[in-house]
Amino acid sequence: RQSIQQMYDLTRYLEHQLHTLAATYLNYLGPPFNEPDFDPPRIIGAKAVPSATVDIQEWHSLNDNARLAANYQAYSYLLRYLRTMDRATPAALPTLHHSLAHFSASLQGLLGSIGGIMASLGYSLPTPEPSVVPQIDPPTFLRKMDDFWLLKELQTWLWRSAKDFNRLRKRVPPSAVMLHLESRGF
Amino acid sequence: AQRPSQQETHIHYAQLGTDVTLLCGSVDQDAAVTWTANSTDLDASHLNGSRLVLRNVDLSHSGQYTCYEGPSWHVKYRVNLRVGLPPKEPIVMCRSNNYPNGFYCSWHLPSPTYINDTFNITVVHDSKEIVCKKEMPPKNRCYIQFLQVFSTKKYKVTLTASNPLGSSSTTISFDEFAIVKPDPPENVVAKPVPNNARRLLVSWQYPSSWPDPDSFPLKFFLRYRPLIIDQWQHVELSDGTSHIITDAYAGKEYIIQVAAKDNDIGTWSDWSVAVHATPWTEEPKHLTTEAQGAETTTASTSAFVVPPTTRLSDSDVTDR
Repeated sequence: RQSIQQMYDLTRYLEHQLHTLAATYLNYLGPPFNEPDFDPPRIIGAKAVPSATVDIQEWHSLNDNARLAANYQAYSYLLRYLRTMDRATPAALPTLHHSLAHFSASLQGLLGSIGGIMASLGYSLPTPEPSVVPQIDPPTFLRKMDDFWLLKELQTWLWRSAKDFNRLRKRVPPSAVMLHLESRGF
Repeated sequence: AQRPSQQETHIHYAQLGTDVTLLCGSVDQDAAVTWTANSTDLDASHLNGSRLVLRNVDLSHSGQYTCYEGPSWHVKYRVNLRVGLPPKEPIVMCRSNNYPNGFYCSWHLPSPTYINDTFNITVVHDSKEIVCKKEMPPKNRCYIQFLQVFSTKKYKVTLTASNPLGSSSTTISFDEFAIVKPDPPENVVAKPVPNNARRLLVSWQYPSSWPDPDSFPLKFFLRYRPLIIDQWQHVELSDGTSHIITDAYAGKEYIIQVAAKDNDIGTWSDWSVAVHATPWTEEPKHLTTEAQGAETTTASTSAFVVPPTTRLSDSDVTDR
């Protein structure tokens, strides 16, 4: 039983996990990326990363379907990018590898959870945009900038998702999720 | 000497600790003049020809200086001397206590300048300048409305303090989520739980300044201790606005406070106003003649009477 509460709890868990992972990864990237006031421009690859930023009135007006779809689309991209980060990380850093792999697996779980809830509420899954995900190439400064922005967006999306899913769990009673599953022959 | 008509007053600013030379308007260097400071005559030792020289000025030198030109001794020139300091680097702090509506920035100077200062603030986000609505002086504060939420771009705030003796500025940059700090919870109430000598029911409300509890729920932090002990006990609560303390010392008065924080971001609020409460204690029985007889027998046999343990009925608030 895919409950919205579990999805919300997983989001909070990922939020917590990412704090540690982001700090470790940025330290791996080294200065200036691990400096608190680092505020680079957002260029090339980083522009492709879906932004969690939204006009406040627009966010309030989003319905449940639109909220879930925006989250699903964002994490589809973020997860693909995260996997390239994992593959690009030197083998000599097993701990970082493990953290990235563990986090990616959990994020995959969240993506599946969002998809499950959307299906159970009768919403169709958004088709992932064919956006360009940077290939694995040597850690140039620009690639590091992309990684920096990816982590920042991921952190912000998890923060936004926690609000979205918290709102959802209050609005959608568990029974609504069950009824829809049964009506679709699950 | 006779002091004739009014004259326009000029203003002259001077930095604390410096030497100041005041000119008597446009009169010649060697014209015959006298000077007063706040209507008190100044002796000739301060004069360098028609100029008034004040050494190593301090705040007491501030005031109105008037120059009279002979031989008619009419008022030739009036100057208001203001002694002070240029502003040091101002301190600016920004905070959102009503997220996601907006945030305010407030500022102050680390030390006084003794003269009037003006402040100019600019707020830039995502390369766009945003209006910061200033509050009426003397409040050094302005308010910025959030147009977007969940932003990954930092806000950059630059504050410039200036006065006639100089200027200084400070720039801070921060992420939206870093400045969220709610106001303390309100209407904190603590009550004993009837028939429970070790329980206290504490309830509170969201700060009224927090605009959207549904979308942006707060979690709470409760701290409590008996008045006689300094060590606080803490409990964090992610849902709801009440809690039952179940391990209170029987009969001891407690002090209780609550703090709040957004579930995901920002920092804890300040502690709420403290409230006091004492757990329920059994009413002493009324000593009637009958009861007294029975009581005397009981009192002589058991020195310590355990309060009756009453099973809480379902309707009572229980701590699962």
